[in-house]
Amino acid sequence: MNTGNNMEFFFDPKSIAIVGASPKPGKASHVILENLKKIGYNGTIYPINPKYRHIGDLQCYRSLADIGDQIDVAVFVLPASKVIDILKGPVNNVRGAIIISSGFKEAEKGKWLEEELRDIVEKKGIRVIGPNCLGIYDAISRIDTFLVPTERVKRPKKGGLSILTQSGSFAVLIMDEMATEGIGIARIVSYGNKVDVDEADCLSFLSEDEATRYVLLYIESVENGREFVDMASRCTAKKPVIAIKVGKGEAGLHAARSHTGAMGGKYEIYRAAFKKAGIIEVDGYEGLKDACKVLDAYDMVHGKKVLIITDGGGIGVSMADACEELGLEVKRLTDDSRKSLSSRLPAFSATDNPIDLTASATDDSYFAAIEEGFLNGYDIAIVTVLWGPPTLTAGVVDRINEVMNSYNKPVIICSPGGEFTRKMGKLFEEKGMPVFLTPEAAVRAAAVLTGNGTRLN
Amino acid sequence: MAEVEKIISNALNEGRQNLLGTEARELISTWEIPVPRSIQIKGVEDLKLKAGMISPPFVLKVISRDIMHKTEVGGVITGLRDENDVKNAFIRMKKDIEVNVPQARIEGFLLEEFIPGGVEVIIGGMKDPQFGPVVMFGIGGILVELMKDVSFRLAPLNQREAIEMMGEIKGYSFLTGYRGSKPVDIEQLASTIMKLSDIISNVKEIKEIEINPLFAYEGGVIAVDTRVVLEKGSEKTNEI
Repeated sequence: MNTGNNMEFFFDPKSIAIVGASPKPGKASHVILENLKKIGYNGTIYPINPKYRHIGDLQCYRSLADIGDQIDVAVFVLPASKVIDILKGPVNNVRGAIIISSGFKEAEKGKWLEEELRDIVEKKGIRVIGPNCLGIYDAISRIDTFLVPTERVKRPKKGGLSILTQSGSFAVLIMDEMATEGIGIARIVSYGNKVDVDEADCLSFLSEDEATRYVLLYIESVENGREFVDMASRCTAKKPVIAIKVGKGEAGLHAARSHTGAMGGKYEIYRAAFKKAGIIEVDGYEGLKDACKVLDAYDMVHGKKVLIITDGGGIGVSMADACEELGLEVKRLTDDSRKSLSSRLPAFSATDNPIDLTASATDDSYFAAIEEGFLNGYDIAIVTVLWGPPTLTAGVVDRINEVMNSYNKPVIICSPGGEFTRKMGKLFEEKGMPVFLTPEAAVRAAAVLTGNGTRLN
Repeated sequence: MAEVEKIISNALNEGRQNLLGTEARELISTWEIPVPRSIQIKGVEDLKLKAGMISPPFVLKVISRDIMHKTEVGGVITGLRDENDVKNAFIRMKKDIEVNVPQARIEGFLLEEFIPGGVEVIIGGMKDPQFGPVVMFGIGGILVELMKDVSFRLAPLNQREAIEMMGEIKGYSFLTGYRGSKPVDIEQLASTIMKLSDIISNVKEIKEIEINPLFAYEGGVIAVDTRVVLEKGSEKTNEI
């Protein structure tokens, strides 16, 4: 297997060939061609199809060999057996292939085709993403080989999140969702059956990639476990890596009637691997969205001390409980802090942790409470803003933002409520402060920033 | 380590995939994991010679390559106060095994000092096809299967990881002292987990190893029963 890091060219190709290009709208190869143009790919595009002379305004070639130039990436959108035929032929000018085609290992009849494919590309030294994948969406170098039309699936703006996924449909879903949430993407790799490029290769690349601030992994299975753990560890040393593992219910490991074997479904071993590598594991799709949202806004913190501030008692207590469940520390304020705070807060405020500003809360009382917490070593503040108190104005957004910036520690806003609340929530988001609509989501987000996952033990 | 190699090659040469209980205890003793004091006997005639070497109360266990779960077939008898008790236990055990597992070959018997119950934990190690050596920690001994209160780590692991995996157990408070019971020696427990991690990481022939139960006390730990399954082995064993 081609391991190592010689796959950078996938993310900065000078030329892309589309093998099996078609002028017919609705054909996958046509969608890919259009998407490459739309995203503004500025290398050379070579459509390949012996049936056509031109596709749109591009010259169409009979075969890969007919192109005199070196091709950095050849995208294959052809039946599996044809892909093999072409690669077996006189092809010696291709560095990398993205094989979108299905009908390989995932299909009963395609198993031997995949073996043959592996042999051919190994012999020819061609690196391969796929087969049975969507390939690459890259907002940095502007590459889009995803065969879904942009009218149906929105492309996210440029940002710091890179996604590695076995599942193409997950890639499509998360892309659309992130676009809607306003979260920016750096690179997405949908690598499908992993005949060559696997998660370890991609993690190795992303660990060195300056455009990637944090990584999201969607894992069904990992074949080379130790290599994965090594590469993931290298990556987590530099940036947060979040993982979602699906297929948890796999049967036990060993036929032998031992407890050790019977206790561990395969999933427990994955969890152990994630822990070894410092990967943050999130549970389910909601946890994933919360994690992306908070990592998009803030960097990780080094401690686990959380200050909870509310203007409604009940919600604070439920958050304190949730914090403890996820391994966060909700320590009481010192007596000195409490004394100093009570002179700055409304008369009946509870200066415990959670700090309850009560319905007399003002813009300034939020400022005072957060400041006191950050001065006293709390790492994160989870701040609930319920808009009931008439003394509270839109100015609270600026006050919270001000204190957050001057102490350079993250403030997570929890603001459950209806129409008015959501409108005010937008003001926070404009300032770059993520808003969560439930106490649980806010706490999950805080846990992610401390490096804890949202999986309960 | 030469001892360990000998035990393993011996078993493999005999076509066994499971180490005998006595072999397994010798193996973990090489890593200085404490085991109960014991003597190995062939039958009643041996008893006179050796019984004085250990002190009562005793536990009598069968040694058989064909029996993995001794308790279920009458292969463990506890609460033996003197030689007479042991003799009677012999007779009962032979009869029970004859009835329950007539095909089982019996290598001998183990008479060991009874260990007063501490907190029962289980420490396991195995080789995962994708991730390699893995270590498990669980609580409850015989209850482990019911409670599934276990945690896993990839081996090798350090002390921090060993302590973390104990903390992930729901029954962690049994270790730290619960309703007046004394807390167990967490450091000894962590060191035992690390030793097991060392064994599963370094002995390539071991597919699976399990100390169950391991008793944990205020002053240390003791491995009451150990099972070792080897990677290869041509003979199909009659697991019971």
